[in-house]
Amino acid sequence: MTTTAPAALEPLEPAAKRRRRAIDPAMAIALALAVAFVMIAIVWPIVAMVGTSLSPEAFPVFERYTVGPQGQILVNTVILGISVAAVGTLIGFLFAYVQVRVPLPRRLKQGMHVLALLPIVSPPFALALAAIVLFGRAGIITRDLLGIDFNIYGLHGMVLVMSLSFFPVAYISLSGLMRALDPALDEAATGLGASRWRTFRTVTFPLLLPGLASGFLLLFVEALADLGNPIVLGGNFQVLASRMYLAIIGQYDVLGGAVLGILLLVPSLIVYFVHRYYAERASVVSVTGKPSGRPAELTHRPTAFVLTALVLAICALIVLMYGTIVFGAFTNLVGVDNTLTTKNFEFVLFGYGLEAVSDTVLLAGIATPLAGLLGVVVAFLVVRGRFWGRGALDFGTMLGVAVPGTVFGIGYLLSFNTPVEIGGLTIIPKLTGGAGLLGGAVAIVLVYIVRSVPGGLRTGAAALQQIDPTIEEASVSLGADQATTFRRVVLPLIRPAFLTGLIYSFARSMTAISAIIFLTTPQTRIMTQQILNETNAARFGNALAYCVLLIVIVVAAIGVLYAVIGSSTRTERAADASTAVGGI
Amino acid sequence: MTRTSAPAVVRLERLTKQFRSPEGRPVMAVDDVSLEFSGGTFVTLLGPSGCGKTTTLRMIAGFETPTSGRILVDGADVSRRTPDKREMGMVFQSYALFPHLTVFENVAYGLRLRRRSGAALREAVDRTLELVGLTGLGRRRPSELSGGQQQRVALARAMAIEPRVLLFDEPLSNLDAKLRVSLRAEIRRIQQTLGITSVYVTHDQSEAMALSDVVVVMNAGRVEQSGPPDDVYRRPATRFVADFIGRANFVDTRVLGMSDGHAEVDLFGQRVRVPAAPGVSGAGPATVVVRPESIRVGVGELQAVVRRSTFLGPMAEYELEAGGQLLAAVDPDWMGRGLHDPGEQVAWSLRSEQGYVLPPGTSEELPPEELEGEG
Repeated sequence: MTTTAPAALEPLEPAAKRRRRAIDPAMAIALALAVAFVMIAIVWPIVAMVGTSLSPEAFPVFERYTVGPQGQILVNTVILGISVAAVGTLIGFLFAYVQVRVPLPRRLKQGMHVLALLPIVSPPFALALAAIVLFGRAGIITRDLLGIDFNIYGLHGMVLVMSLSFFPVAYISLSGLMRALDPALDEAATGLGASRWRTFRTVTFPLLLPGLASGFLLLFVEALADLGNPIVLGGNFQVLASRMYLAIIGQYDVLGGAVLGILLLVPSLIVYFVHRYYAERASVVSVTGKPSGRPAELTHRPTAFVLTALVLAICALIVLMYGTIVFGAFTNLVGVDNTLTTKNFEFVLFGYGLEAVSDTVLLAGIATPLAGLLGVVVAFLVVRGRFWGRGALDFGTMLGVAVPGTVFGIGYLLSFNTPVEIGGLTIIPKLTGGAGLLGGAVAIVLVYIVRSVPGGLRTGAAALQQIDPTIEEASVSLGADQATTFRRVVLPLIRPAFLTGLIYSFARSMTAISAIIFLTTPQTRIMTQQILNETNAARFGNALAYCVLLIVIVVAAIGVLYAVIGSSTRTERAADASTAVGGI
Repeated sequence: MTRTSAPAVVRLERLTKQFRSPEGRPVMAVDDVSLEFSGGTFVTLLGPSGCGKTTTLRMIAGFETPTSGRILVDGADVSRRTPDKREMGMVFQSYALFPHLTVFENVAYGLRLRRRSGAALREAVDRTLELVGLTGLGRRRPSELSGGQQQRVALARAMAIEPRVLLFDEPLSNLDAKLRVSLRAEIRRIQQTLGITSVYVTHDQSEAMALSDVVVVMNAGRVEQSGPPDDVYRRPATRFVADFIGRANFVDTRVLGMSDGHAEVDLFGQRVRVPAAPGVSGAGPATVVVRPESIRVGVGELQAVVRRSTFLGPMAEYELEAGGQLLAAVDPDWMGRGLHDPGEQVAWSLRSEQGYVLPPGTSEELPPEELEGEG
């Protein structure tokens, strides 16, 4: 026998599952580009921030924010994260359970579903503004209707608004999981003599536990990273993200920002990857538990009534809040001077705001196709390719969502504020600040892509795993190289997932605040940042008009994307939406 | 579709593929396989799951890289070529049709990659569809076809590019039994029409018999025997081959003498002449393969007790106990004689000229463990 030492033995997999292949030159170029992107746009800024925060001067700053006088901020952050995660997961579970298990008219369920998804496409503090208008010191409900002196600012206000903003994520993944649960399991338990409650407690709930844990952890990370709501609603309850904002914007204290950033980064990363672990466990349940029928319905009427009433109450609150947003956008100063006017929209559409609107749409529009394409290419490489560092590429790309946006903001300031030169040759020009490339627009587009690619990656990977790899082998054996196979076979087959990735990218870019707040410049104004400015200046009319416009743009863009790319069925869409949000 | 070049000769030289088991231990999936397939032959790689047949096929196709050894097509080493550069048509077990393309576009896929277009393309596709009997179905989607039709499309798609070699990876195993039989006849007919060198992987020995010019029996990564199907059946090189192809009784005895390729052995107290493998020596222990159909039940001077009786329709199947040994036997003539019940004493005889003395040192027990899922 020829004894050439087996260089790297491939793992023994069943032939049917052996889907990874060595990549050919065309895909190697794509791989090189993906790796370059991950290294430059994701890893480097994080490393820069970590490096800064580990310098000797940073030590006293660490002390100040941990055991020192400002240590309370850390405690506050954890309290906020746990509260929002608990309440948000509970609401998500409630919506999912009623949606899947309670017999209700179809129209009503569809209405609930749409309302539950609305917060995803709306700007980060639309609900916070509505809460202030409704329940603030001069709130329509609290002061005018109930005549009480109520302070919405603080932990309770944030928990209310952030739970409502983030619960859709938990709702989507849990409803997907519940639909996938084999109803025969419930029937088996009932058949063995278990009561309904006992069945829920001993069968349904344990099977949903990984999903609940994953939802809780994801919401915890989101709450930790959120910047908009703590700034608008936090009051005296300071958390890491809002303190970072103060450090950078108010005090130009990059070192302080970096230290706060690392305090935020470490728990976020840990919790995020624990979440991924649970999310994968949850998906195992959904894959093996092949549904053999319709989910068992909850027939206990009093319970169904109470659950439905709770969900309807939350729906009513959501309607009320979005109604307030729209109403407020058409008034002088909602709650104080309710005269109807169009001047807010004149301001955002034809006045000073126009530039922010067009800049934002343009930059998000540039980032979306790039992020969508990069997402599916990385998914293809990671799912099908066999190369060293595959796991690292996946991990590196996912850092785009696992790392709080503010960390990227500071990282970009630290990495790209001066041109990068090698031997006197400028490799990367200055990207951030008004004097940065194209008025700082390039940095913002990069951050948009960084934040969106993970969505495309996960939906793409999920779709690819559904495709028999021999279909690609058939293409290759007919003479197509991997790039041709990707273009002519893979991309058409995962088109629904690609579309979902694009929608996710656009919605996420349009509503991004924490990652770009430090990167906007006088030349490049961004809608979310303008909303924050108008809110801080108490010009609620303008802020709400921006919010309404932003929601309209995102919804319109989704419609256009479906018209151009999608002719996928409703079920495909529903499935993709759930993998998009649930898989992150 | 007329071929301009002579059919390709495929040579495997000391082909070896090692995988890493989940525990990190190296596993020999294909172990030092050397074979030559002459131009235009239909070769079947036959063996139980885990024997390395699929891995061998995938190495020929280029989807696996050999750990060592070479693959030569008409003398040119293709082992390091990527699959898209090998000009081999492959038919997959799962069909692997492109679900987003019509039947026509599936078949045209490889031709378009070869810059064919317009009337020439249409003509080539139509001709190929006609060959597999799918004329008129070009506008359908794969999902609108039956399983048998889908596999015909897969066959047409692989043939359309006029490949040097056609590869089949258990293409019929997802079809029902009747369809399998009719489609395999068709595959054979088309292959003979076109004269393309073909390599076919299966674990179904009757499929291998029906289709092939040459059967290669593999076990645990190694080639046990290769040759024409009737030869492999009649003269199995090892106990494994005898047992895997058809059914076999193994009778351990002693060789008493040799003359012109026949061994004189003692079988059930009778001194008989049995064809013997080369290498069987003049005296010593030997194992004789006796096919169940070589035992005549109800006729002869030997006596046995029926231990089990199974009625199969065209034949009756018995387990006989004779001389302290259990023997499988079939009786195609049961209608004339009637069925025997367990416990009954029956006369029987042996068509000793149909037996075969295995070569020495090849009658160890059957395959060690099977590699999970690898086919």
